[in-house]
Amino acid sequence: MSDFAPSLDRLALLARARPNLLAGSLARYQEQEGLDDKQLAARVGCEVEGLARLALCERPRSTPYFVRDAERIADYIHVDIKRLVPVLRALEVRETLSGSAGAQRAVGPTLLAARDYDGDENGEKRGAFDVGNEEEPENG
Amino acid sequence: MKATAEELGFHQRILARTDPIAFAELADTLYSSLVQVVCKRAGIQADQVLVEEAVGQALLDYHDHPGNYDPERISLHSYLVMAAYRDFQNAVAKEQRVKAHQVSLFDLALQGYDIADEQGTVDSHLQVEELQVIIDGIFSDAGERRIVTLILNKVQALTPYAQVLGIAHLPLEDQRKQVQLVKSRLIRRLRRRMSRMHITQ
Repeated sequence: MSDFAPSLDRLALLARARPNLLAGSLARYQEQEGLDDKQLAARVGCEVEGLARLALCERPRSTPYFVRDAERIADYIHVDIKRLVPVLRALEVRETLSGSAGAQRAVGPTLLAARDYDGDENGEKRGAFDVGNEEEPENG
Repeated sequence: MKATAEELGFHQRILARTDPIAFAELADTLYSSLVQVVCKRAGIQADQVLVEEAVGQALLDYHDHPGNYDPERISLHSYLVMAAYRDFQNAVAKEQRVKAHQVSLFDLALQGYDIADEQGTVDSHLQVEELQVIIDGIFSDAGERRIVTLILNKVQALTPYAQVLGIAHLPLEDQRKQVQLVKSRLIRRLRRRMSRMHITQ
């Protein structure tokens, strides 16, 4: 009997070529930060097995959808959104700086959303995701 | 058979492009089953890595062009199995073409050298040892020697080459390109040196 067990890791590897999935930017982030899988998982706050699932998620859309998309991803891979968002933000920033096509659609608004999340200029933090002020059109 | 209700749900979510986890969930749900079915269809000798790559490619193609799938005609699972099996067959055919090309190059490299075989005076074990000595003489780099040994052993899988080259972390397509380049370069070098040896003998 073969001990072969299909794993989403291989699919996540193939998905790196898809700019609208997180796989590619996550791999570049991991490489630039010098993190192994265990360290990356710890940073995101998930199990190592969760990384492939994260990699297969779509990149969050820009504001006003960013928060909702980030929450959806966080729920799916069972992580605290407060830990996931800084990583998602870092991915977008790096992709924007590297000029990747997939990042173009998200650049400004996502960064604004990320800044909102960090807190205002007085250093006062907003709630984890104080989405009350964020008007989200329905499935725009 | 039409798409199941669950498949239809996935399909609509992926078409809408508004749910960041739709594709991940679909893959999570179907991937293992697809690999098993395609493996079974491909036969017991099938390279499971190729099967996984084909299934992955089929899922990603569906992700890119969900509109190509008609849920009224066939279940999503069957659609993906058919696409993956077709990709698998193409990959196998391509690998066979590459293999045939590699063997012919190497045979050419050995043409004229294998005098011992022609004379029938040296057993095959000695030939292998001699070949190893020659390889050691031609390739001073240990990594290159390991690659040449893999080529001589007709290893077709990508992973052993990628591991020797230290590029296993790169995307598969990049690995494939780099491995192909290195193999071609080493085969050319081997061929050149062996031709020279033949001339000087």
